[in-house]
Amino acid sequence: MALVEAEGVHVRFGDRVVLEEINLSVNEGELHGIMGPNGAGKTTFFNTLTGRVKPNRGRIRLNGEDVAGLSPHAIARKGLARSFQIMTLFNDFTAQENVMVALPAYRARGFDVRRAVAGDASFSDEANEVLASVGLAGKAGISAKLLSYGERRALEIAVALAQRPRVLCLDEPTSGLGTDGTLRLAELIGSLKGKLTIVAVEHDMRFLFSLADRISVIHWGQVVARGTPRELQENAWVKRSNLGSFG
Amino acid sequence: MTGTSSDARLITPTMIAAWLVLATVPLWISKVGLYPYIGVEILIWSIYALAFNLVLGVSGLPSFGHGAFFGIGAYAFGLTQFNVAANLWVCLIGATLAGAVAGLLVGLFIAHRRGIYFALLTIAFGQIFWTISVKSHSITGGEDGLLNIVRLPVNLGVVAFDISDNDSLYYFVLAVFAVVAVVLWRLVNSPYGRLLSAIRQSEVRTAHLGYNVWLYKLSIIVISAGFSGFAGGLFAMAQRSAFPDVMNLAQSGLVVMMTLVGGGLVSFWGPVIGVIVFLTARDVIGAMTNAWMLYFGTMFVLLVLFRPDGIAGAFKLLVERWKARGATPSLSSAPRSG
Amino acid sequence: MFDLLPHLLNGLVLGLLLALIALGFMLIVGLMEQINLAHGSLFALGAYLALALTGPNPPLPSDLAALWLQVPLGWRYGIALIVAPCLAGIVGIAVEFCMRRTYGSDPLYGLLLTFGVALVLEEVLRLTWGTRDHVLPIPQSMSGGFIFGDLIWSTYRFYAAGMAAVVIGLVWLFIEKTPYGAMIKAGAHDSEMVRALGVNLSKLRLGVFMLGTMLAAFAGIVVAPIWGIRPHMGVDAVVPAFLIIVLGGVGSFWGAVIASLLVGLAVGVSGAYASEWSLLSMYLLLVAVVSFRARGLFGKKSMLEV
Repeated sequence: MALVEAEGVHVRFGDRVVLEEINLSVNEGELHGIMGPNGAGKTTFFNTLTGRVKPNRGRIRLNGEDVAGLSPHAIARKGLARSFQIMTLFNDFTAQENVMVALPAYRARGFDVRRAVAGDASFSDEANEVLASVGLAGKAGISAKLLSYGERRALEIAVALAQRPRVLCLDEPTSGLGTDGTLRLAELIGSLKGKLTIVAVEHDMRFLFSLADRISVIHWGQVVARGTPRELQENAWVKRSNLGSFG
Repeated sequence: MTGTSSDARLITPTMIAAWLVLATVPLWISKVGLYPYIGVEILIWSIYALAFNLVLGVSGLPSFGHGAFFGIGAYAFGLTQFNVAANLWVCLIGATLAGAVAGLLVGLFIAHRRGIYFALLTIAFGQIFWTISVKSHSITGGEDGLLNIVRLPVNLGVVAFDISDNDSLYYFVLAVFAVVAVVLWRLVNSPYGRLLSAIRQSEVRTAHLGYNVWLYKLSIIVISAGFSGFAGGLFAMAQRSAFPDVMNLAQSGLVVMMTLVGGGLVSFWGPVIGVIVFLTARDVIGAMTNAWMLYFGTMFVLLVLFRPDGIAGAFKLLVERWKARGATPSLSSAPRSG
Repeated sequence: MFDLLPHLLNGLVLGLLLALIALGFMLIVGLMEQINLAHGSLFALGAYLALALTGPNPPLPSDLAALWLQVPLGWRYGIALIVAPCLAGIVGIAVEFCMRRTYGSDPLYGLLLTFGVALVLEEVLRLTWGTRDHVLPIPQSMSGGFIFGDLIWSTYRFYAAGMAAVVIGLVWLFIEKTPYGAMIKAGAHDSEMVRALGVNLSKLRLGVFMLGTMLAAFAGIVVAPIWGIRPHMGVDAVVPAFLIIVLGGVGSFWGAVIASLLVGLAVGVSGAYASEWSLLSMYLLLVAVVSFRARGLFGKKSMLEV
């Protein structure tokens, strides 16, 4: 059964149509890639999916429930987490604290003013576990702004993972990473595959084709092609537009 | 509050040291040529500035209308005393509630805003309350103010203290300040306080983590307004009167200025440092020249330009440099892992 | 219904004056997304400088002063209308130079810087001219009153409203019809694009800030004969200007003008029924509009909201 489903999603900014008609479905446990040229509406689709942009029409269903038009926090609580292309970490926090505030246990105590956060092992242990899972085990106490670029990218994903989501949305996760960094990230995302449903917007073809179960190509605000990586490489439209080339 | 981690301690050595120093103030204050009353003023404004900094420094919401909550607390203290009960605790609760209710009212209109619109709307709401207080002669006494407010005795059930003279009032306000400081310190370091800091750093991210950012912002506006009202109540009692001018734009700006001068953006204690520096400078420079605002204003401009983190920020930098100097040799021998 | 007419007319005049006061503030907040809290002090500065130029005690050596006082008041007033804003513009340039240090950091710092400047300016005014009220002398031909519909009207109010309308028109022409205006409009939303157009952004900011302060000072001179001159006159005038910007929407020229007229009419008409509370009507208008339209009447999304 489809866990994430977009049906006829249409978004306008003023008189500019950004998303004409998006139809998409992602099965439970699938890694679904989204690609397309710049300005095709990928990021807008992502923002619509996660509640930042309200669609003018159309439905977005999460586990069968219509979530279109809900606020970002309501959608997040339904089990959808996202990373950001332009990293939005809490720069004044340590890596550990960045992850802590994302934990469901922390969220449940968001209005708690009686105890201090520091020294509360119920948060820090779980946060350290998540940090270790993305390879940041030794960095817990370091301020986010002092981490290296690659480490910050990993932390970006750790924050999303800490939400214990059913669906993880990654917006250009390799953006700005070198070959090494991309390889390490592919390894990390590969290890998550099957454990949770992932939707990834990505422009690095090699990365996407090696990881994704299925890929949708968005262009002119529509899904113009979809299929497994192998099918897409044979797709006439993709060939013509050079999107599928590994050049 | 840019502190990279929360502090688990309920009471810190800094607090105890500060209280001990503050407790000796009435013994020497007249000898250094200051009026004893300035101590009371400093403590009350410190409570106000700490409450204000919950909004500005902790949550990153630039409020330029906080004077309204302080002023409403002051009026509420007087009006409760005249019309409800001449009991200190009842009056202080009245002041706090009045501030909080006003905060809720304003918050409902501005909690979903940020940046420029937030700042402009707080100015507007500050002016609304100021206009009302000036024009409602029958309730607030208009420009003449609300007079004849009495310093009520501190009734603790078994014993009652009289606080009508400045020294005993000072010790009462010091006790209150100590309690408020502990409460706010814990609040800032709690999950709630750290979330407010997260909202300041990235509202968008916090929302996507599943937090109802609006509710958090609204709640901190209410809490901050409540404590500001509480401080206003104390102020009315100390001054034995309540006037509309604490609510105007310039006065609302002053608390922003004090908070910033002290370093409220980087330190919990910044607002208190700012209040001490501002009020002492007012009395010391003000005794020498009536152009003291010119000097203080110039100093403030220079501070914003060259030391935007305020006194606490400059102090932190100094400490870091001093530490770094001591640590240099070991750094070169140990390979850095990051 | 006819007895409402004078209030409507008063409201309209007030609206034009408010628009004039808000204009410079609007330009700065529109292009630079900076709240200039010193706007009110610059407004007051303009009035005081005009007072120095037209009043009985010009700041000149005694023989020169005597000579200057020989010049007819009408001429001195006209010269003050031009010279005082230029002098204020120099102050504006100095403020902008200071403000450069705050670009790129939190806009809060720009706001605080201008708050500090406002404190200093207001204190300078107080030290130079004292705390008492002053009256700005105006030429005979503009003062006095006339009778219309059984009521006495002050002639100067209409001259003031006329000057306001002319300046509003000129600023509009400047924004719409000159290349500088196009850059200002682009810069309001997209400093990237301004750079792409090959415009020197720092010069543009300097120019706009100077223009904004000159307009503030000009408004001060025009309004001074009506509201009087005192050190804190700026605050009384500038708070409505802040409200107008929120009401009209940040970055919208016509939004600000229409909002000014609405505020003027609201204050004028409510003054007919409850003159004590007429100022409150403008706040209530603001609250009403902003609750329904988050960015004011014509506001666009500001980068400061993100």
